[in-house]
Amino acid sequence: MSSSEQAPVNPKESSDSDNTTHFGFQTVEKHEKESKVAGVFHSVAQQYDIMNDLMSFGLHRLCKRFTIDASGVRPGNTVLDLAGGTGDLTARFSKLVGREGKVILADINSSMLNVGRDKLRDQGLVQNIEYVQANAQYLPFEDNTFDIITIAFGLRNVTDKEMALRSMHRVLKPGGRLLVLEFSKPEYPLLDKAGKFFSFNVLPKIGKLVVNDSESYQYLAESIQMHPDQETLKAMMEEAGFEQTTYTNLTGGVVALHKGYKF
Amino acid sequence: MSSLHLPQQMLLLIIEKIINNALALNINHNNALRDLAGKTLTIKLSELNFPITLTANDTQLLVTSIDGESDCQLFANIAALQELQRHQQLTELIKQDKLDIQGDLKVAQRYASLFENISIDWRTELAKHIGDVPTYKIEQFSLWLSAKFKFAAEQIQADASEWLVHEKQLAVTSDQIEDFSTQVNQLSQRLQQLESQMNQLEKTLSTDPALAAANNKGQTVE
Repeated sequence: MSSSEQAPVNPKESSDSDNTTHFGFQTVEKHEKESKVAGVFHSVAQQYDIMNDLMSFGLHRLCKRFTIDASGVRPGNTVLDLAGGTGDLTARFSKLVGREGKVILADINSSMLNVGRDKLRDQGLVQNIEYVQANAQYLPFEDNTFDIITIAFGLRNVTDKEMALRSMHRVLKPGGRLLVLEFSKPEYPLLDKAGKFFSFNVLPKIGKLVVNDSESYQYLAESIQMHPDQETLKAMMEEAGFEQTTYTNLTGGVVALHKGYKF
Repeated sequence: MSSLHLPQQMLLLIIEKIINNALALNINHNNALRDLAGKTLTIKLSELNFPITLTANDTQLLVTSIDGESDCQLFANIAALQELQRHQQLTELIKQDKLDIQGDLKVAQRYASLFENISIDWRTELAKHIGDVPTYKIEQFSLWLSAKFKFAAEQIQADASEWLVHEKQLAVTSDQIEDFSTQVNQLSQRLQQLESQMNQLEKTLSTDPALAAANNKGQTVE
């Protein structure tokens, strides 16, 4: 049986037990997932940007730009770029919030954070950026700190998504908004099939070629399938306390941007 | 509409690249950009269904579609913007409802001034990449090419005129037009003369009693 034929486990079912969660298509103990995900990102950190460009044909950059525009960021805002990795969103946010504003690039993975820090410093972006190694489930910030929180292509790697969403809600200021950019369910069956074929057959091969690591990209493909669809994630955000929650499908729903407010 | 979000971002990305490259090559480099840092101008064109927001920072201009609070908002259509650029008729366009500005007008003026002051020395920029001699040769070639194109355009226009006048006889020459208008003028003058002679004749008839009686008699006999 090829990888693409493996039956994905319903994310809800997989996390029915308090102690287990999913790591791709595998069911693992919750405490194991963090270290396994960490292993994936330690492995791919150095080539992360190149791989993203190859995998998405550069479209991830446009999706990120759209996310920033949808955030309505203004000069002087305080922004948390969660699971910010190599800092694509942070770089642009930093320019938009200006001298009066602040951007915090947070990631659970030290390798990704180091790559991001080096990249942003090389671009001369030093004035208004802070770097924090943090777990999205236990955000080390005071209540009502941020005007905007973004998490781009990161939520699916979080062990307990509900807990992370509640944590984000806590640290947002009233009137603040959360933007979740993530792979989602394609609107068209043909696109869904093409996406699965690409994820399971092409992606690991590109991973093998560029990073010499096909397993990490096999996990990424599986994690995309396991991530909640648009409506489920919207419901999860509402459950965590977000209001006026909406989502916008990009590239036919392959990627979706969810947005919710804290009032 | 979701499918249009990414092309829209692509368009904004291209605009941003062009503006920032132009600013980087600007020989009238001044502190205009730095002075605008943190100031936002939102342009809402009736032809587009998304706003274009310019945000300046110390080193570059960011082009986004962020809709919301802005230091200055400008509502217009593309034609009005072109008119504004050509004639500087800001007040006139506002009066005609072709343009509406909300917020700090100075921000719009400073952004306009930033763009107006962009001047690029293409020759120097090209020389940096390919060297002085190739640049000189390209410049000479482009001048030669431009002269050739100008000559060819003039030639095509002349040939087309010849073809229309002589071959197809669909148009007339300027001499023919001049002749025609002279004849029309002469005819008009002769008509005026005739009219004044007739008026004179009528006047004579009405003032001479013998001629009037003969005229009346003739009419009665008839």
